[in-house]
Formats: sequence, C-alpha cells, structure tokens
Amino acid sequence: MKTKILYPLGLAALTAIFAGCATNAHYVQTGDKEQVVSLGQINIQDYANAASDAVKDLLASGALDKVPNPPALLEISRIINNTSQQIDMDLLTKKISIALLQSGKAVTKIVDPMAANYHKEIQPDGTTKTTRLPDFTLSGKIIETVDRAGDTRRTTYSFQLSLNDPRQEVQVWEGEKEIGKQGTRSSVGF
Amino acid sequence: MKIAKFFLGCAVLSALAVTGCSTTVNSVENAQKSGQRYPVADKRVVTDSSLNSKVYIVGLNSATTPGGLLKVQVELENHTGSTQRFLYQFEWFDANGMQINNIVSAAIPEQIYGGENKFIYSVSPNTNCKDFRVKFIEAD
Repeated sequence: MKTKILYPLGLAALTAIFAGCATNAHYVQTGDKEQVVSLGQINIQDYANAASDAVKDLLASGALDKVPNPPALLEISRIINNTSQQIDMDLLTKKISIALLQSGKAVTKIVDPMAANYHKEIQPDGTTKTTRLPDFTLSGKIIETVDRAGDTRRTTYSFQLSLNDPRQEVQVWEGEKEIGKQGTRSSVGF
Repeated sequence: MKIAKFFLGCAVLSALAVTGCSTTVNSVENAQKSGQRYPVADKRVVTDSSLNSKVYIVGLNSATTPGGLLKVQVELENHTGSTQRFLYQFEWFDANGMQINNIVSAAIPEQIYGGENKFIYSVSPNTNCKDFRVKFIEAD
C-alpha cells in the first residue's frame, strides 16, 4: 500500500523538478547574464566585446582627428580569419563602422555596387570622376589559439586591428583584444 | 569519536576548497604621483548590496580626448579574497538627457582578483555626450 502511494508521489516530484529545469524559448539581449559561452567558437558577445574595445581605443587615440578634411574617409579592408570557424566579418566590422560613423570622426567608403554605378552615371561628360582616396584603411586578423590540460580546454581569440594611412604608408593605430575561454564544456552564463 | 573525525575532515576539505579558489593580488606603485586625476562627484544606486560589498566602486575620473570626446574611468576594488566576475555597461546621454547607444555601450564581462584594484574605461560615442551611467551586474 505504501509503495502504491509513494511511487506516484515520487514520479510527480521528479516531473516537477525536470519541468522546473526546462527553459522555454524567450528573447535575450546580446551580452546578458544568460549568454551562451562556447569553448570552441566565437560567440556574438565576443564580437561586441572586441568591437567595443577597438572603437574606444581608436576614438581615444585621436588618430582619426589628424586628417586635413575631417571627417576621415575610411575604407574597411581585409580582416584575415585564422580561426577554425567560418566567420561573417561584418559581425565585427559593421559594429566598428557604425560606431565610427556615429562619432562623426569618420565616414566609410561606399561598398554598395549599385551606389557606385549611380556615381559613375551622374558624371556630365561621361568620364569617370577621380575617386577620393581613403584617408585610412582598416585591416586586421583574428587568430585562434587552443591549449589543453586533461579535459580542460582554453581557447583564446585574438582580434588584431590596424588603421593604415595609405598616403604615408604607415600604421597610425593598432589594437588587440584577446578573448579567452576556459573549461571542459560550453555553458550558459559568464 | 567518529562524528568528530568526520567534522574535522569536512573542515579540512572546506579550508582546502576555499584556499584553492582564492587568488589575491599584491601591488607596488610610485609614491609621489606626477599625474593628477580629476575626480567626478558620483551618485550611486545600489540594488545588489552583495556585489557592492565585494566589488566596490572607489571612484570616477574623467578627461577629454584630443578629439573632444568624454573619457571616463572607474576604479574598482575587490574587497574579498577571491576572484569576482561581473558585467559592466556604460550608458551615454546627450545634453537633453537622451540616451545614445552604440557598440561602446555593450555589456562587457570582466573579472577582478581578490584585493585587486582595477580600472575600466569608456569613451563617449560622440562629442554631444555630456553625461554617463555605468551599470554592474554580478555573474551567477
């Protein structure tokens, strides 16, 4: 009799516990407390972290202010992906270009082919107008380093960025942000 | 007797566990400073007293960049003997009190060792920003 009562009660308790642990789908903000931290992957908050650091450092350096005709004209150049994952580089560069545009310190060169064609068409004599050379180009590299000790794995992503002055052929600013993650498995939280 | 041994064992294990987690920092610096900080009078709203007692906000200071942007630095001090993890987020406001958001307002994960003093900083998104607020959230 006792077993007959205890068995359903135990089952109900277990069901309640597991139902409590389950997480229903809900909207989250990038970089919140519930962020997924993946060991072998760059997470969305990592791009935000790297871009934020680069923008703060670049704006604070004053490098963009040293142009004859402000705001500086910036062209986003190649960011080399030296990691094991496929990356849409706009996840990094778009955040940077938006912030620089909002700062009023730089404008970025048109990358839209339709806009470029329109620019050609409006020339009255049909000739191609001399394009304004960019004051700066932004290039860089993302490097992945993996270290292991037993089950513990540490992955470090180095975001290296350079602001280049093509006229002087010099780099006027460089920034590096290292994002390291360590553990035995991916988790939720930071 | 057996119970006493059990509690002694537990106490030793707990002590070992606590020692294993603690990482504290010793530091040295020049006594006669040549640089001068310009402190900012601050207004604090503490809803998480646990975090505030562990990661204490020592003070704020600000400067203006060569391009006229506001740069704010916050000094933090870990009042515990163990590493603390938290998120911080800068918010920026223009002269009308309107918030200006972009990537410099992203939430950034940070950690601070036991007894360590650490600075975090941010730069305003544009020259129209006059005011700021910094939020701190403790990690779970």
